[in-house]
Amino acid sequence: MDGNGMPPAPITSIGEPLPMVDGPEKIAGKALYTSDFYDPSALAGAIKRSTVAHARIVSVDTSAAEALPGVHAVITGSETDEGHGVLPISRTELPIAHDKVRYKGEPVAAVAADSIEIAIKACDLIVVEYEELPAYYTAEDALAKDAVDLHDHREGNIERHVEFEIGDVDGGFADADLVHETEYHCAEVCQVQTEPHAAYVEYDGERDELTVRASTQVPYYVHLMLSKILKMPKSKIRVIKPYVGGGFGCRTEALNVEMITAMLARRAKGTVRTVVSREDTFITHRGRQEQTIKIQMGMTKDGRITAVDCKTIQRGGAHSGYGIVTILYAGSMLFAIYDLHNVRYDGKRVLTNTPPCGAFRGHGTVNTRHAFENAMDEMSKKLGLDPFAVRRVNLIPELGFTASDQWINSYGLPECLDIVEKASGWKERIGKLPPGRGLGLGCSHYISGASKPVNWTGEPHATVNLKLDFDGTVVILTGASEIGQGSNTILVQCVAEVLGIDPSRVKVVDADSRVTPKDNGSYSSRVTYMVGNAAIEAANNLKGMLVEAAARKLEVSPEDVECLGEVYRAGTQDEGMTFEEVVMAALEGTGTITAKGNFDTLPESWGGKKYRGAAIGGTMAFSYAAQVVEVTVDPDTADITVDKVWVAHDCGKALNPLTVEGQIQGSVWMGMGQALTEETSYHDGLLISGNMLDYRVPTFVDSPPIEAHIVESNDPHGPFGAKEAGEASLAGFLPALTSAVANAMGVRVHELPVTPDRLLQLLEDKERKMRSAAE
Amino acid sequence: MENMPEFTLHRPDTAAEAVKLKSSDSTSRYLAGGTDMIVNVRRGIETPETMIDLTAIADIAAIATDGDGLRIGAGAKLADLAVDETIIREYPAVAQAAASVAGPTHRAYGTIGGNLCLDTRCLFYNQSQWWRESNNFCLKHKGDVCHVAPGGKRCFAAFSGDVAPAMMVYEAKIDLEGPNGSRTIPLADLYRNDGMDHLTLEQDELLVSIRLPKAGPGAVSAYEKSRVRGSIDFPLAGCAVRLTEDDGKIADLRIALTAVNPYPQMVNGLADFIGKALDDDALDAIRELVQKQAKPMRTTTVRPWYRRRVVGALARKLTVRLAG
Ligand SMILES: Cc1cc2nc3c(=O)[nH]c(=O)nc-3n(C[C@H](O)[C@H](O)[C@H](O)COP(=O)(O)OP(=O)(O)OC[C@H]3O[C@@H](n4cnc5c(N)ncnc54)[C@H](O)[C@@H]3O)c2cc1C
Ligand code: SF4
Repeated sequence: MDGNGMPPAPITSIGEPLPMVDGPEKIAGKALYTSDFYDPSALAGAIKRSTVAHARIVSVDTSAAEALPGVHAVITGSETDEGHGVLPISRTELPIAHDKVRYKGEPVAAVAADSIEIAIKACDLIVVEYEELPAYYTAEDALAKDAVDLHDHREGNIERHVEFEIGDVDGGFADADLVHETEYHCAEVCQVQTEPHAAYVEYDGERDELTVRASTQVPYYVHLMLSKILKMPKSKIRVIKPYVGGGFGCRTEALNVEMITAMLARRAKGTVRTVVSREDTFITHRGRQEQTIKIQMGMTKDGRITAVDCKTIQRGGAHSGYGIVTILYAGSMLFAIYDLHNVRYDGKRVLTNTPPCGAFRGHGTVNTRHAFENAMDEMSKKLGLDPFAVRRVNLIPELGFTASDQWINSYGLPECLDIVEKASGWKERIGKLPPGRGLGLGCSHYISGASKPVNWTGEPHATVNLKLDFDGTVVILTGASEIGQGSNTILVQCVAEVLGIDPSRVKVVDADSRVTPKDNGSYSSRVTYMVGNAAIEAANNLKGMLVEAAARKLEVSPEDVECLGEVYRAGTQDEGMTFEEVVMAALEGTGTITAKGNFDTLPESWGGKKYRGAAIGGTMAFSYAAQVVEVTVDPDTADITVDKVWVAHDCGKALNPLTVEGQIQGSVWMGMGQALTEETSYHDGLLISGNMLDYRVPTFVDSPPIEAHIVESNDPHGPFGAKEAGEASLAGFLPALTSAVANAMGVRVHELPVTPDRLLQLLEDKERKMRSAAE
Repeated sequence: MENMPEFTLHRPDTAAEAVKLKSSDSTSRYLAGGTDMIVNVRRGIETPETMIDLTAIADIAAIATDGDGLRIGAGAKLADLAVDETIIREYPAVAQAAASVAGPTHRAYGTIGGNLCLDTRCLFYNQSQWWRESNNFCLKHKGDVCHVAPGGKRCFAAFSGDVAPAMMVYEAKIDLEGPNGSRTIPLADLYRNDGMDHLTLEQDELLVSIRLPKAGPGAVSAYEKSRVRGSIDFPLAGCAVRLTEDDGKIADLRIALTAVNPYPQMVNGLADFIGKALDDDALDAIRELVQKQAKPMRTTTVRPWYRRRVVGALARKLTVRLAG
């Protein structure tokens, strides 16, 4: 009994809007990001970049640079002959180009010097002789018959061609009342995370060892790639991930910045700190590819989709990166949102002389989803159906396996639709808005971690260690990468919930290869689901030990111990033991306790029985989202104002409603950037928009009110029922926006982003047509 | 990257001393808020060995009324112009233009002097050293071709300051101080139609202040710019309108444009509208006239035809709004 006569109870952490555990350090400016590591003896690293798009490197003369006072190391492509890359089958990218450069901006040399100014001067003194080759900046040019291959092993510049047919597509079209074909084009976009890329590498010459700090989402992959390109045993390398200022997928693979810095440090036998510019960060890229999507869809007159034929081409850039995964996702993620049975897919990932693309938030799904949802909207108009009604007749009728063998265990899309329909006043308002205003609907989904790891090693998907000692602090040791998304907070909540203790008792030590268990990293929305489950298992194991210790002391059997979090007792009349007392009891004879938890996916979720590509897109749980966007369009300038967004996201269970809401709003907002303002542009392969003025991320002023609703479908396998919360709400914004503009103005923009000049052009064309029709 | 090329910084506290320091080194540059200059230094567009920081000169920072109107020191911050009560009341277009520049932090540092003396802008010019080198530079800096109009020998980089047109519709004058003494000229005469050399300032001349004559009775004004985002962006096209009406007829109309030419420009031919009613025909004619005189080129990522369309639309819209 406490002072109020209430019996003590376990403290609830799950479902509580707990502020982020690392918030105070960030707000106070005390959090150390990679570039905050600074030692007076640290050398400055700088990268010299190619000025041509495609060329054989004839020679690199570094003599003048090496002679410059203050220069400690100059390296070129000959520093390593080992390629890097995510997939073992496509490790053809070198940290520094060797025989050939393939895009403007590719590193050709690097320097470590006493100051950044000297390092830059030295870079300027390096003379590279190129023998230029034909360069291709569009997928179309790279695919042309007589095009020169960028890579020897990729004939015709095709990185990967994926084809499949599931069901009977032609039969499906024959059954349709309406067959409609439409085409969409999405510009290339970048993540533009707050923190530019940085690496801080200390080389210990005595021991031939490296300590690496880098702004990465995947310290483990960085570790592997460093070992490979440096030809150093993994045991000689330590990788630490400091605070990271966002990633959104641009740091989901080892980047040349950290590899080059490591090579420089070893060569200079010292510490090298490289903080690249915003332009360099844009060029390092790994953003979402430019893509054309052609969709043919068959529908019955009540809106049921009878067949889908999707052809798509992605401009992947000069190296593979995640490209093969991206083009596979674009196909497999056609499924698992609606009840589809007949689907044909033809996807080409093309190599071009532009910076390499990567895994941007909503990886692989966003552009295809945009075209798909627009096709549904166009067809609902033709059939005289309400867009909500068309979504509803296509809902998945029961949980289980899709026609492509993807496993669905929870499905909150119906509820998402109901919520946004009601919240936006859709029924009352659609078709009755004044001229220039419109509403649009878009749905989307995402995975909660890829069920098959990219690199199969036989290890569990996730491992968490807990350490408990005399001070009664539960320390979570995790390799999971907190990059601002809140993974440390979620792990604290999971562990505190299982133990029923005050979450302030739980601390996190994260992402240091020497201390924490290995983790694959923060991507594909795997962390909450997989690492969260591992944390729960670890906490249960720890709880078991504590209960046993309490039982010993209370002289009862473990089953009779009641764990109330901060108090353990044997019967309701018993005063019990405090948590600290239980801890001391547990330490008797054994000392410091470590408990461990693992997580592994179930084989049913691996996908891949119906066609090989389905393994990419296999997950333990799909999340769902629906959103309605309202816009006002100025008829004279075609300026679009997003008045409001209503979004509902099925995240299984909101472990922390505060951070879930933040993720939903962030996703919507990022989708808005891609839909309205963001695009990279090139001039002869040279990135024009490599700065934050010409690459237009929306500002505060442009941010609409976003009303986020959380739907909890309680996934049977998720940690406390949770699944993905940080990606699915992105993709739906794009089609909701184009549909809202179509609703407002009667024209549909097929090219993203919907900038005012693109829209005005269509409005003028329409007016001209109407005028000539009237004459 | 944290690169900052080396230079010597002087911080004089009088205008006369600033001019003297400036003339002692031919590579030197004036530095006010630095919101444009420092970007250009980091990009290697400007390579001064000496910079003359103007922020310690107290008497060029004030905003004060005198008998003839308003005197705004060149060192006054844009954020101050935007909230100055006299400016909001008497010269609303100027306050609106100042408030529309860049973002809040830029306005807190950026001065009106720097805004009026802003370099012209172009996609092929406002880029890093590496970028421009990869593109063989261009006429405006180090190169011998123009990537916007490859055949010609002219530079079309656009003047993209917001405040100049708003001041020009009030026939602002500027006080200049140089090694050979001081002079006062119309603000419009500060500019010429040449993207490479758009300022008529003489060597080492310093802009000291701007004079806005007393606004005529009944005159109302407004400024608006087209941009993709609601903040940060330079104008794709900007338009200031000052209108005086008399009994439903146009008594006086001035329109000035920015970002659609290498210089901020008064629209010619508006005298023809004096005495006319502000009906649809007149408004359409005003739009046409504005569109004709705007000559945007491919100096931004947004296409020129749109910028021309939109500047006409802005002129029409603002005129309608002012007519109330
Ligand atoms: C991201 C970004 C967005 C921007 N957006 C806009 C925008 O929307 N609209 C806009 O108008 N501007 C914009 N700017 C440019 C700039 O911020 C403003 O024009 C600002 O007013 C410049 O003033 P400053 O005092 O910082 O000038 P500085 O950068 O110090 O100087 C600019 C130029 O003027 C010269 N100069 C300064 N004072 C004097 C003087 N008294 N006499 C003679 N020469 C002088 C300098 O030598 C230099 O050549 C933007 C800048 C950035 C970085
Ligand atoms: S208009 Fe031509 S010359 Fe002028 S800055 Fe642009 S590319 Fe250079």
